Amino acid sequence: MKNRQRAFLLMAMPAVIIFFIFHTYPVLQGIFYSFTNWRGYGEWDFVGFSNYLNVFQDGRALSSYWFTFKFAVVSTILVNIFSLAVALGLNAKIKFRKTLRAIYFLPNILSILIVGFIFNFIFTHFLPEIMGALGIDALAKNILGDPDTAWLGIVIMTVWQATAFNTILYLAGLQTIQDDVYEAAEMDGANAWKKFLKITFPLIAPFFTINMVLAMKNFLMAFDQIVALTNGGPGQATESISLLIYKGGFEGGEFAYQSANAVIYFIIIVVISIFQIRVLQKREVEM
Amino acid sequence: MMNRAVQLLTGCLFISLLLAGCGEENASSDGKVKLELFSNKAESIETYNKLINEFEEEHSNIDVELYAPPSAETVLRTRLVKEDMPDILSIAGSSLYGELADAGMLRDYSGTEMLEEIQPSYVDMINDLVPGNHDGTYGLPYATNANAVIYNKQLMNDLGLEVPKTWDEFIAALEIAEEEGVTPIYFTLKDAWTGMIPWNAVAGVLQPDNFARKKNNGEASFTEDYPEVTDKMLTLLEYGLNDNFQYGYNDGNNAFANGESLFYFQGNWAIPELKKVNPEIELGTFAMPVTNDPAKNELVSGVDVMLTALKDSEHPKEARQFIEFMMKEENAKQYIEEQYAFSALKGVKQEDEMLSGLQEKIANDEITSFPDHYYPSGMQAPNLIQAFLIEKNSDAFLKKMDREWEKVQKR
Repeated sequence: MKNRQRAFLLMAMPAVIIFFIFHTYPVLQGIFYSFTNWRGYGEWDFVGFSNYLNVFQDGRALSSYWFTFKFAVVSTILVNIFSLAVALGLNAKIKFRKTLRAIYFLPNILSILIVGFIFNFIFTHFLPEIMGALGIDALAKNILGDPDTAWLGIVIMTVWQATAFNTILYLAGLQTIQDDVYEAAEMDGANAWKKFLKITFPLIAPFFTINMVLAMKNFLMAFDQIVALTNGGPGQATESISLLIYKGGFEGGEFAYQSANAVIYFIIIVVISIFQIRVLQKREVEM
Repeated sequence: MMNRAVQLLTGCLFISLLLAGCGEENASSDGKVKLELFSNKAESIETYNKLINEFEEEHSNIDVELYAPPSAETVLRTRLVKEDMPDILSIAGSSLYGELADAGMLRDYSGTEMLEEIQPSYVDMINDLVPGNHDGTYGLPYATNANAVIYNKQLMNDLGLEVPKTWDEFIAALEIAEEEGVTPIYFTLKDAWTGMIPWNAVAGVLQPDNFARKKNNGEASFTEDYPEVTDKMLTLLEYGLNDNFQYGYNDGNNAFANGESLFYFQGNWAIPELKKVNPEIELGTFAMPVTNDPAKNELVSGVDVMLTALKDSEHPKEARQFIEFMMKEENAKQYIEEQYAFSALKGVKQEDEMLSGLQEKIANDEITSFPDHYYPSGMQAPNLIQAFLIEKNSDAFLKKMDREWEKVQKR
């Protein structure tokens, strides 16, 4: 038995070491530097908690937190509605089911940056020109160029892209439900809506939990879709927290200050994820 | 058992050595000295490669490797973090240069002969970027750019207009274009940085000298010194498109090159792009006349390319040889001709007729530097200015600029 344990240990060690070097160590470094005034190079001093205090007084950071939460909540809800609907459709007995599944998964294969450039063209040229030709001048403009509507453009593209992945998870969930449950319900005279509400949805609750948590976490860390569409503009209207950390840290030479921001942000994401899992798992039912 | 453990350990070691080995190649196997030249301009790669080939023919013991990645300033900053620096830098005279010089990473060229060949205004310009406690000249201005109004010659002739010399004449020209149904200015404000061209042109002339230094000492502020700048920006905005925030830089290049507007606020660097879209187009350039006194209307020009060696480079002699080679008159000339740029070297002139309006100002030393190069980079002025151009609330904006500046300086 002792030999076996040692074998397990030996197998696990390389992974642990590599994980520590490339993941844990940089995180600890980041936390360390958040207590200094390091610019990323050159000399530095310890400054205590002043970076943290400054984050809470920084209007730009606060408005980027507000934007990120607004964006994440709306996108999470929309993605889950759409992906559940698509999954239900693809789970039904329809023709070309497999082909359709492949097609609906396509957006997830494309790189977000490429999708971003396509949507950028759609918002800048394609939609305004159609609206202009139809004579609806109020809509004949680039929604990405207006600080009030730019975030909607990002939501549209993100939802389009992210729905594919969550659809796959829901499809997997739907396949775990046995047909006889539905047969029994039909005998009791349940209609389609009742069947969904009383059987399908409760039975895929664990998948619902996972999808909500994953989507929320992903959208809170939104970065590439924003770089591709607006780069944080117009003004600073669509600056997500990841983008702010990147821009301030590397382009603005505020490495230590944004490290503090990153630590705060990390704590917030962990708290939100745990909270979500707790709340959502309570309403799951066991088969 | 022991044996297997040793095997595993060597395996781990091998992997970590492999990872550490990346990027650690100083001397190549054939005994040549390898110099890394880091450039922040993707536009000049071809020109550099030509010049490097010539240099390598003259100096067979040196192998110069050009590295010009996209978002170069960001890449350079991350490499600083890793303490993995190139031998020679070819970067703009912007705040990054000031930070590098302040951190003591660059060679000091003060008092060298090379420096004497360079126009003094440009040397002063980069000296101003270095904070007081590290006074010195840590780079050699090489090529310079200009913040211009580019115009469509054909449309200008059709409208019977001449190059305006004063602000009033400029506005009159915009009025005439508008009446004749020609879009006066093609704004591309979806990309925040493009708003900095008119901003720098206007602020460069109107702001007090040494604004940044005075601002840090509390002797100047946006609220007091910039109201005329914001007014003029808002005036210019009225002569734009229906929606000035719909299009970005690339859209603007396409539209302007296809004759969709009379004026275009861009630097000389946009000209090759415009020519690419429409090789037939006839362009002219002039410095924006910001006031009604032509003598005051200086051209905003900055150091686009500055050459400097790293202090810790392992090959200081070879790095100097390369920089000396670049500074030769014929090579400097080749660079600016291919890049539609201007030279910081005395006596090297851009002869392209398209750029004559700007070259004249540069030759007469009627130049001033880009104001935003002296703003702290952490405040992200382009985005703040873009937001102002959308909201159009001068007072609130100027107060915000003051506040952000102070906030960033305090961190």
